[in-house]
Amino acid sequence: MYLGIDVGSITTKVVLTDAEDRVIAHAYLRNGGKPIAAIQQGIKNIIQQAGNPISIEGVGATGSARHLAAYLVGADVVKNEITAHAVAVIDYMPDVKTIIEIGGQDSKIIILREHVVVDFAMNTVCAAGTGSFLDQQAARLGISIEDFGGRALRSHNRVRIAGRCTVFAETDMIHKQQLGYQTEDIIAGLCDSLVKNYLNNVSRGKEILAPVVFQGGVAANKGIRQALERELGLEIIVPPHFDLMGAIGAAKLARRARPSETLFKGLEVANWHFSTRSFECDGCGNTCDVMELIAKGETVACWGDTCGKYSDAFNRSRDEGQDAVRSNHG
Amino acid sequence: MKVTFPHLGTMHIFCKAIAETAGIDYIVPPKTSKRTLTLGVKHSNECICLPFKIILGNFIEALELGADTIVMVGSGPPCRLGLYDLVQKVILEDLGLHYRWLTIPPRLDWPALLKNRDETRELKKELSLKNITTFPYALWIGWKKMMACERLEKLALRVRAREVITGRTEKMLQKALAGLDKAKTGRAIERAIIEGEKILGSVDQDRGRQPLRVAIVGELYTVMDPQINRGVERKLGEMGVEVTRTSWFSSHILRSLGVGRENRRERLRYYRASLQYLGYDVGAECNVSIGETILRAKDGYDGVVHLMPFACMPETTASGILDRVSRDLGFPVLTLILDEQENEGRITTLLEAFVDMLMWRRQRFH
Repeated sequence: MYLGIDVGSITTKVVLTDAEDRVIAHAYLRNGGKPIAAIQQGIKNIIQQAGNPISIEGVGATGSARHLAAYLVGADVVKNEITAHAVAVIDYMPDVKTIIEIGGQDSKIIILREHVVVDFAMNTVCAAGTGSFLDQQAARLGISIEDFGGRALRSHNRVRIAGRCTVFAETDMIHKQQLGYQTEDIIAGLCDSLVKNYLNNVSRGKEILAPVVFQGGVAANKGIRQALERELGLEIIVPPHFDLMGAIGAAKLARRARPSETLFKGLEVANWHFSTRSFECDGCGNTCDVMELIAKGETVACWGDTCGKYSDAFNRSRDEGQDAVRSNHG
Repeated sequence: MKVTFPHLGTMHIFCKAIAETAGIDYIVPPKTSKRTLTLGVKHSNECICLPFKIILGNFIEALELGADTIVMVGSGPPCRLGLYDLVQKVILEDLGLHYRWLTIPPRLDWPALLKNRDETRELKKELSLKNITTFPYALWIGWKKMMACERLEKLALRVRAREVITGRTEKMLQKALAGLDKAKTGRAIERAIIEGEKILGSVDQDRGRQPLRVAIVGELYTVMDPQINRGVERKLGEMGVEVTRTSWFSSHILRSLGVGRENRRERLRYYRASLQYLGYDVGAECNVSIGETILRAKDGYDGVVHLMPFACMPETTASGILDRVSRDLGFPVLTLILDEQENEGRITTLLEAFVDMLMWRRQRFH
């Protein structure tokens, strides 16, 4: 069995797959600013769901906190989320030509031709048009994010909402509310503007051909799904595990890597007490913030140092690494 | 008189050599660090590009250490680099720092010499006869060291793509460059090159590996300085990619002097190739970025990484056209827009995904 962990900006996804890449158990959790706790909880959920004893043969980590996840549980494969997403889709739908992925703070487009990724793009510094903004606006309108999409479908008169920037979008939404527009119409308008924003800023003129697969947390949102279909004039396919695709991709990569012996520290990691600590290294003008991962009172990993003074020492041996860190703490 | 100069790749090594050989006092600014960037960002306009901010930071730190003469290249429009010396002068003066500024003209022609007349007159008072008479020799030593740096760096590009232990080549390159830095005479430089090549040669390599080939194109500061581009060249190399670039000190200096036939021919070739997309010379590296991408595609390269600072006019123009080139030729191009607000994790993610994609394409299409 293989474990795939995808730690994104807002949520953590953990899946357990078998040798045929079938999902046996899965967990989808909000980080709530505590990715370590989320990863541990995810593993606990998996253990509970699987029921039977689990023997892990390989672990893959992906997402923006993939390195943290890898240090924490011990991963055999650490892969960027773009590759992980593409790998997950290819087997599910071999002739896929476009993958649209909208997550918490990232949105991506992946273009495939003849089963090969030929182009991709990711949103730049701006997070307009991603899940976290939808979250905020749903909260502001006092409706749950789960109902958000459904409400959009009930709109009969979609309102135009400025979508270039979330700050303007919010201002415009308030303005439209004050003019007396229905909440449904405003939500539908917001969906339209987010889709336009995505197409202008992320896909930027890339050729979007069918079949189009839409995944990531935002794919749950029916309003966005409908707005995408309207804008593209194409059918949008949402895979069954649309919100777990990154984790599935990571598990699949771990299986393909076929580690002779997994680096996984064991399912007990879910119960270990982990903490992090950081210090500013004063070795040079770079003043790197060095992060330490502490388990059972001992530093087990270290990163963030540009020169490799501490992390290299850890890579050589744990004793040496601990000496390096200790010398800094004086 | 204490001369200083900005950091840019290995520039400090040969600038230092020139000053040292001519017997002129100098100060090498502290290595570009977070502090450098913070100083540069604090004292410059928010919208100006990253190279400007880092160079300004270098100058402030060097002046703090007692430098009193700044040597800086100038260039012409349309790139804002042409205004760097003028704007930075004003900022440093506003900060109450005292120094003298020498602009090295981008092209050595009569107007440039006339413009520098006052500076030259001023300088004459400070320099001894010995300084002046040894200067041509110092320039020669500087040139030799620069060529030596480039030779070692180019070798490292090949070795890094095949290294067995990740990061080893970079350590050895730094060691080789440190040895070169110490060489004082022409003969010592020759020895340092041989020694440096031996050091790099000692890196364990997987000779059977067929690395991907990627060319880095774009704005020259971002291409040449690892502090500005967050080590793109090294990151790609350590992912097993053999990197090529045409932006080197020698190529830019030869161009501004109007010499070096091969160099000129190469640039002209790139320029001509760009004309099918661009009807005229936009300036700076814009046309070259486009033309080089087209020709690299034809030469069988696996892809191109295009680097530019945020808000850089010539390269913004290029990036729009490169989208088209990439689509027309079915050739992967990754544009990275760099500024101080970009987080390094994102750059790494994009580069990793790019390399995965190139690997994938190679396995499938070749």
